[in-house]
Amino acid sequence: MTASGSRRLDPAPAVPSIEFEAVSFAYPDGTVALDGVSLRVEPGELVAIVGQNGSGKSTLVRHLDGLLRPTSGRVLLGDRDIRRAHVAELAGRVGLAFQNPDRQLFAGRASTEVGFGPRNLGLRGAPLEDRVAAALEAVGLSADVASNPYDLGYSRRKLLALASVLAMRTPILVLDEPTTGQDARGVARVRAVVAAAAGEGRTVVAISHDMRFVAECFRRVIVMRAGRVVLDGAPESVFGEAAWPELRATYLEPPLPAVAGARLGLGATPTVSALVAALAAAAGGGR
Amino acid sequence: MTASSATPGAAPLAAPGAAPLAAPLATDMGLPDYVVRRPKGFYHSLNPATKLALAALEVVAAFAIPGWLGPGPVLAVLVATALASRTMRSLLLIGLAALPLVVSIMVVNLFLLPGASDPIGRLGPLAPTWSGLWFGLLTTARLLAFSSAVALAYVTTPVDDLLADLSRRGLGRRGVFVVGAAVQMVPRTIERVGEIMDAQRARGMDTEGRIWRRARGLVPLAAPVVFGALAEVEERTMALESRAFTAPGRQTLLRVPPDRSIDRALRWLALAGVVAIAALRLTGRLG
Repeated sequence: MTASGSRRLDPAPAVPSIEFEAVSFAYPDGTVALDGVSLRVEPGELVAIVGQNGSGKSTLVRHLDGLLRPTSGRVLLGDRDIRRAHVAELAGRVGLAFQNPDRQLFAGRASTEVGFGPRNLGLRGAPLEDRVAAALEAVGLSADVASNPYDLGYSRRKLLALASVLAMRTPILVLDEPTTGQDARGVARVRAVVAAAAGEGRTVVAISHDMRFVAECFRRVIVMRAGRVVLDGAPESVFGEAAWPELRATYLEPPLPAVAGARLGLGATPTVSALVAALAAAAGGGR
Repeated sequence: MTASSATPGAAPLAAPGAAPLAAPLATDMGLPDYVVRRPKGFYHSLNPATKLALAALEVVAAFAIPGWLGPGPVLAVLVATALASRTMRSLLLIGLAALPLVVSIMVVNLFLLPGASDPIGRLGPLAPTWSGLWFGLLTTARLLAFSSAVALAYVTTPVDDLLADLSRRGLGRRGVFVVGAAVQMVPRTIERVGEIMDAQRARGMDTEGRIWRRARGLVPLAAPVVFGALAEVEERTMALESRAFTAPGRQTLLRVPPDRSIDRALRWLALAGVVAIAALRLTGRLG
């Protein structure tokens, strides 16, 4: 451990950009889940993807580690087309935390579960143990290192699943509904994980229906509907009043501070802190 | 931040004039899809019992009528029905699943049919025979007729329609539950295994390398399948109990699949066909 309390870990490898070039994808039953999606995520960006159920969010991110391959179009990590790359190889670059922890937990000990990914990437011995301990610490489960994952409650199992991906120290971190089922403490843990990853310059892409989490933790919001990107911008603009009709057509509600700020004529205030600042400025201006 | 198909600043990206997604839900007095589901064509619109009766006739015809006169026309009818109901792709996938069985049938009959004495040639100590080839093809045709008839009824019938119809016809709640659980078990398990495999592959599990490496992945795959299934049984039992599953009295069905005069006519026709084939077979008039 370092003096500051955080573990000294090997730095994350170089962070590549992500590029979707006119990516379309249809499932075997003919359902078109992605319809010509083109977007670029720069290294170190914090991107939230939102949209109604079935809009193609999960399908989109599963292209990042090769679990799905485009029906047409290309996905590039850096300048590399990942069409022919093995998933096991891409797993070292893109860490994907699935929505349902029960679809991945298998080990009898939390530490074994968290070590599964880095072990698959070839890590052994003390570096592996350091990774496991750091990941468990990051999600607040250090005390559960020897626990059976199935003895933990749902929210802690979800944090454990997140830790198992964090332990891989991938330059790109993808989180599918990370705050679902979490209480305020759990959400705070997830926020801290996102902030720490951002601090290390890693790219974080998260799918979420939690608009407050999205507005407060991410600098870019992508709204999807019917397999297409319909809005793309900073939280201030995506949750701004002008975009509300588009959001509502996607069955999304802007976060409460954004609504309050708009109703009070304070402009774009997607977060509580932005709303407070705008209120303070308005009060100061009125004196 | 860049998005090549998006205008930065949250400009709406949907095609002008695109229909809002709320429209389908607003029709039909706001009733959900489960209640107002519209069939996709004539065969889809048939009552589940009618489709089962037709499948029974096809199976009986394929097996009871000697030679190719049984499975030949049945397969032709099934292919025509599958094309008309746009389910050919699903049937082909199910047919592919039967491939190992088909291969074993062909190999066993080709080389080991008792009493066959018309060799095609010699392969070392083995002598494939014309009779074996013919019998193997006939058995395969019958097997495909059987699997396709059942599969056609299955892929064109939503499970809830089948269960609602069985319930209306007097099958008790426990019986309906058992049928429903059995019918849904295979697709549920396939879906679960697919997602678990994705989650483990995303953590670097090698499913594309050598056999011994792939074998090591059995535990990470099997454990979540088994634990998940057990947890689901417990949850489902409690959910059923909490919704008065064991309460006395007759259920009110939210939706009853239509049972039109054409359905009744087809069922009588199927019954007459089965009886006629059985009678002809028993009296020796089919040869």
